[in-house]
Amino acid sequence: MRFQNRFLFFALAVALLALPLGVKSDVVLTILVFSWLQGMLAVSFNLIFGFTGQLTMFHAAAFGIAGYATHLSMQHLGVGYWTGTVLAALFVSVLSIIVGTICFRFRLKEFYFAIVTLAFSEMARLTVLNWNSVTNGTLGINLQEKPWLFGFKVNDTVSWYYLSLVALAVTLLVCSRLVHSWMGRCFSAIRLNDELGDTLGINVFRYKLAAFVAGNFIAAVTGSLYAYYLGSLEPGFLSIDQSLGIVAMVLLGGRSSVFAPVVGAVLLTALPHLIHFSAEVRSIVYGSILILTILVMPQGIYGSIAALLRKRHAS
Amino acid sequence: MGQLIFGQLLNGAIIGTLYGIIALGVTLTFGITGIVNFALGVFMMLGAYAAWYFTDTAGLPYPIAVLCAVGVTALAGLVADQALFRFTRNNLVNGLLVSIGMIAVLEATALLIFTATPKELHRVMPGVIQFMGFVLPKMKLTVFLVLLAVIFGTYAALTRTWIGRAAYAYAQNPEAAELMGVRTARLQTGVVVYSTALAGLGGALYASLYSLEPTLGSLFVLKAVEAAILAGIGSVIGSLFGGVILGVTEGVGSIYLPLAFRDVYGLVFLVAILLFMPAGLFAGRK
Repeated sequence: MRFQNRFLFFALAVALLALPLGVKSDVVLTILVFSWLQGMLAVSFNLIFGFTGQLTMFHAAAFGIAGYATHLSMQHLGVGYWTGTVLAALFVSVLSIIVGTICFRFRLKEFYFAIVTLAFSEMARLTVLNWNSVTNGTLGINLQEKPWLFGFKVNDTVSWYYLSLVALAVTLLVCSRLVHSWMGRCFSAIRLNDELGDTLGINVFRYKLAAFVAGNFIAAVTGSLYAYYLGSLEPGFLSIDQSLGIVAMVLLGGRSSVFAPVVGAVLLTALPHLIHFSAEVRSIVYGSILILTILVMPQGIYGSIAALLRKRHAS
Repeated sequence: MGQLIFGQLLNGAIIGTLYGIIALGVTLTFGITGIVNFALGVFMMLGAYAAWYFTDTAGLPYPIAVLCAVGVTALAGLVADQALFRFTRNNLVNGLLVSIGMIAVLEATALLIFTATPKELHRVMPGVIQFMGFVLPKMKLTVFLVLLAVIFGTYAALTRTWIGRAAYAYAQNPEAAELMGVRTARLQTGVVVYSTALAGLGGALYASLYSLEPTLGSLFVLKAVEAAILAGIGSVIGSLFGGVILGVTEGVGSIYLPLAFRDVYGLVFLVAILLFMPAGLFAGRK
């Protein structure tokens, strides 16, 4: 990292940490909490999609199942929130290993991988929707408990702001370490040409599975945080739209860097709140952004700006 | 019980031909342009609302309204192809995402224009046929026969005409087809437009049987993709059978198992087929 970049990075970190001191508006902070959590989702999705090249549609399921699993383990096993989250993330990991093993053993690629993960995700949603005795069906569940951290109850928006910001920072750190390690190189090799990777001695199955499980694990932690911040759970958490929303954030931000999806997440989360649209107009705007990004700016905002800067730097 | 099972079989077969006609569009578009057009569900919705508009508001007789609806959808398909899909040829992920963006835009627009209140068409062709003690609504039978005729007609056109052979040639080897004088850009546009017209026809006929909501297409297109994969992508007659198998399973399944399972059958079929018979049930039989 060059000096300039490092300076920018610290300035950004300090600004974000000091933000609640200056900004007292609960609305702004709430939007930012949602942005950070959506950002975590987008970054973890990008680990599977952008870096390993597998278009997974299982993300909404990992996200939603974790919320339910945290609640159920807290209710039935009597554990605290954090233990519940860990149990939920482990449960989602086991599910991802099963789904991933099925998909990658049978060498499903591209569209076929997307459609089979979508099928598993839909099965999970229909299970949650119809298993009334456990999930309370369409009505969903009210979550009254709030997590405790170092003797503090994470209750008000400011403490959630810090919790989500730290969670996002840890996610970015972990993903960036992962992507720049030998493992990340295996991911890239698989994305670029998995048959070639195979002949070079990379265990394609193992690394695809590793990326899939790691991404879903982070999505599970996010799901648990999101559900307890929102204070409710409903089957809509697992809907296809949720997965598509994540895809849109990643495309808008850019899929070539670890950090870029956060840009998309912040924009797509904040935009509907900044300008007051009806739900229909919001959907139209969202669809148009998706189409325009793909046709006009396939590298995403971050990628386009980076390319622009590189060009300037070179000339 | 026999009456119930027969009724569900018939219902399943009719819904199945509707799945089949969209599945045919999915299969053709995928074979020729290399993308899976999820937006076909939206074109189906467009066809359904157009048929409703032309009969209920413009007062045209139903068959003419159906033709107009198909025309409108085909025109919309042409615009969508030239403005959007032209740029995503053979890029599966981009095509997928553009079609998803289109769904968001068009469904929301339909919600703004038509509201979420279900629309009902005036009864077209009321009455039933008594057949060996079974009761068959005339309209359902008509829809079934029209869709069968269109699917078999498409099959005949693809196997018997020059354009059909050009399409097959293109699907097998695009460069060789181009060298043999196939106008490939025009062929691709034609296939996209034809697929949207099929979806519009499906929607227009759907309008005579069920009430309309702006989201009706989303469920159908997922089922159609399931049917197309069940049959094996690229198989024309297969997409009909894929749709009918799916529709009948859903119909008969809902007699014995809770209705909540209805949407699961297709997903289970989909996963099982892709894992164990990835070429589909009708592989090799184009």
